[in-house]
Formats: sequence, C-alpha cells, structure tokens
Amino acid sequence: MSWPVKTIAERTGDLLPGSPWTAALYVLLTILAVTAFMTVTGLVLIYAERKIAAHFQCRLGPMRVGWHGVLQTIADALKLLLKEDIVPRDADALLHILAPVLSFAGMLLVMIALPMSPSLQVADMNIGVLYVTAVSGLGVLGILLGGWSSNNKWSLLGAMRAGAQIISYEVSATLALLVVVLFSGTLQLSGIVQSQEAGWWIWRAHGCGIVAFAIFLIAGTAEINRTPFDLAEGESELTAGFHTEYSGLRFSFFFLSEFLNMFVLAAMTSTLFLGGWMPLHIGHFTVFNGVMDIIPPGLWFTFKTTGMIFLIMWFRWTFPRLRVDQLMRLEWKILLPIGFVNLFVSAACVVTGCYFFAR
Amino acid sequence: MLASAIPTLVFYLLAAISLTLAWSVVTGRRILRAAVSLMGVLAASAGLYLLLDSPFLAGVQVLVYVGGIVVLLVFAVMLTRTTELLEDHPTRARQIVGGAVATGFFLLSYNMMTADAFVGRTLSPLPKNDVAAIGRALLDTGENGYALPFEVVSLLLLAAMIGGIVIARKPAVAAKPEAFHG
Repeated sequence: MSWPVKTIAERTGDLLPGSPWTAALYVLLTILAVTAFMTVTGLVLIYAERKIAAHFQCRLGPMRVGWHGVLQTIADALKLLLKEDIVPRDADALLHILAPVLSFAGMLLVMIALPMSPSLQVADMNIGVLYVTAVSGLGVLGILLGGWSSNNKWSLLGAMRAGAQIISYEVSATLALLVVVLFSGTLQLSGIVQSQEAGWWIWRAHGCGIVAFAIFLIAGTAEINRTPFDLAEGESELTAGFHTEYSGLRFSFFFLSEFLNMFVLAAMTSTLFLGGWMPLHIGHFTVFNGVMDIIPPGLWFTFKTTGMIFLIMWFRWTFPRLRVDQLMRLEWKILLPIGFVNLFVSAACVVTGCYFFAR
Repeated sequence: MLASAIPTLVFYLLAAISLTLAWSVVTGRRILRAAVSLMGVLAASAGLYLLLDSPFLAGVQVLVYVGGIVVLLVFAVMLTRTTELLEDHPTRARQIVGGAVATGFFLLSYNMMTADAFVGRTLSPLPKNDVAAIGRALLDTGENGYALPFEVVSLLLLAAMIGGIVIARKPAVAAKPEAFHG
C-alpha cells in the first residue's frame, strides 16, 4: 500500500495558476485553521495537565466550571486576556514585547512542518529535520531576551539557566535525530514516516532505535523546560524565572508556546521513532498490516502523540527537579557519549544492512 | 507574469529588511537590540538563499547563525552587563577612521562587482540540489571534491575550541601547596 502525500502548500501551488485570489483565500483559511488548532490544542493540554496532575496526587482538579471543569481553561484564558499588560519601567520595552513573539514563532514554525496525516501537513520541506532543528532555535532567543529585557535578576537568572540548558541539550537531541535520518536516508519528515512502512524505527533499528528514542525524549523534555528540567522557572528558587515580569496577553504567549512545545515534542518523537501517521506494520505480515490499515493515519498520529504527551506529563510527577550541576553532568558526561556511540553503531548497522526488514 | 513578479517582490522586500536592520546594527547604541537586528539580517539572508533555490543552505544559515551565533552573542552580552547600558558615543577620530574604512571597503567591493560580468563559471557542474549530493561532494577526495577544505575547516574549529578551553581554564594550582593550617 502506498501513501501519497499531498501537503497544503502543494494544494495552494496547484490553485495559483488558475486564480491567485483563490490561492490567497486558501492561504488565509490555512492560517485561520492553524491558529484555531493551536488555541484549542493549548487549552486542551492545559486542562489535561491540571486533571492528570490532580489525579496523580489523588485530587479531583478543576470540577466547578462546566462538566468536570471542562470550561475552566476557557474561563482562565478569558481572564488572562482581560488582565493589565505591564511593561517594567526600566525595561527595554521593544525587546520585552518582541520576546514572547519570538518564542511563539519558534514553536509555530515547527508546527507547520509536522506531518499529521498524508493529507494534513502544511508544508513538507526537503530539509524537514534540519528545518525543525533550525527554527526551534528561535524559541531559546525568545526566552533569553524575555529574561534580559525584564530588568529583573530572577528573570535574568532564569533566562541564563534556560539558555545554557537548551543549548546543551540541543546537541544530544540532534545526535538522536541523526540516527533516524541515517536509517531512513532522508531529511524530509513525510519521507521519514514513509520509511517506517515495514515497522517503526524504535524497534526496527536493532537497539539503536530505543537508545536514540530515550535520548531524544530526555533531551527534548529538557529543551522544553519541563520538570524534571524546569530549573529555568523553578518557582521555589526563581519566582517564575524568565517570565516573572510578564502579565496578561504576553504571559499567555509564553505559557501557550510552552504547552504547545510539549505537543511539538510529542509529535516529533512519534514521527521519528513511532512511525508518525504510519499504522503499526510488521514487515511482510500482509494480513496483520491490512487490519492495521483500517484505522486511518490521522488517528494513528493522534493516538501516538497523545500517548507521548501523557508520558511527558507523567514524568513531572515522577522525577524530582535536577540541580544545575547535575543537569550539566547528565548532558555532557552521560547523554552525549552515549549519543555518539549510538550514532557510530547505527551507522555500522545501516552500512551492513543489519536491521530488521532491511531492503 | 505573476510567477516571476512574486520572487522579485520578495527579493526587494528581503533586501529592504536586510539593509534597514544592518543599518540599525551599526548605528544602534543598545547592544542587545543590535544583536536582535543582526539576527534579522541573518534570517533575511536565509530568505535570499531560499529565493536562490538552495533550501539546505538556508536551513544551515538559520541553524548556525540564528540558532547558534546570535544566541551565543546574546548569552555573552547577558553575562557581561545586567543593566541597560548605552554604548558611548564614538570619538571624532574613530568616526573618521571608521568612515574611511567603510568607504574604502565599499569602493573595493563595488570595483570587484563591476569588473566581473558574473557569467556562470563554475569549476565543476553544480551538484544536484539535494543533501545527498552535498554530502558526497564534501567527502569526495577526487578532482571536484571538497574533502581537503572540509578537513582544514574542521582542524581550524578544533584549534579554536582548544584555544577556548585553554583561555577558560583556571590557572593551574601551585605545585607546592601552602602549609595547611588547621
């Protein structure tokens, strides 16, 4: 079974010669849809985080607004929008305003490259993986500038921690990502998904896959500043880290991009290691594969991403926060050497064709 | 007509953004704002590479310059100064020397650009625009390969890295420790 990929960008391109205005309208609709998707996903994630956190602690979580508190996040969002927007007097106002936008842009630019199903992907770049690594760097810049421009020492400390942490863990995440690039032989995200037709890389890659998966998940969790790596905003140490001085709409930009970054990490992990929208296939077991194909690709993507998000939320209530020196030791002395060895071993596996269902 | 108009429009837009931001990098007195403007200039060059149909180069430009160098720059500024300090106004002598150097460089590059007609004169056929071809060219030891420059560059990076470590290292403790009190 083949999976022809048709992206939204390609559809717009098809429309362009006929009528530029239709194409423009199509682009506008896409932007609206992406915005709506991000808002709804953000609200759902915040609600899920609160509910899951509550149940891990034998509480009920939000219960009052709507059935089991489903309208709680909507009420909170409305409250945030109505709050006063404060820029500290001695702060660099321009950078203070720019920082949340940069942070949000870094997340948004990754979002448009995510392959959600063969027919649902905004743009499918030839250099997909490189593009994702590149533009996610904008997020760090937003955090650094936000911390600096607040003119507050807690913000500055939080931003420095976040910056050091993200720059360090980016190395390991990239090394783990390269393993998948080696096995699939392409940088294109939809190509990586299609290369997993005989099985997902997490188990097909002969052990290298699962190591790379673990490294990517750890490094990714550190990159999005989530517990156990939330030193950047450790509330017991730094008030709220880099966004201490932010309020109202600008705070919600930081907050939303933090939650959506979790979605992006989960989606990237499932794309690279768990087959993305590709159903669970085992080599040449045609009957089994046929049964799995009944479930549409979009649902597979949703299942995998939701599972990964749950795992990341689970981390938060399982591991205590690391200290700064422990954080750096984990990256440079543990993850990085393992990542390099893993890359060499997987290169050897690819060259000798020593992995499951190699063609 | 439309198909050719859009790239031209985008080119002029990117060029205008680059020039404006580059101007503010040089003239701005707030050093962190200058760094952010520099980021804009580098991102606009990535856009120009995209326009020239080399997405890989554009991706690397964003990865290395925006994600690496500008972040490092901002980091360094944050380490050195915490409050909003303005750069000093340059002295008269500095302004004159700076202006002379800039004008000289402009004249030099202008002459170079007008002297060459920029016909397609490449040593080897341009590699196909995909990452695999670029990778093979980088490791090719043959006539049109780039293995030697690649290795030389990596040697340079290694030297720079060792230099950085040597500078950052704490001075070695004295071989003979002081008498221990306590």
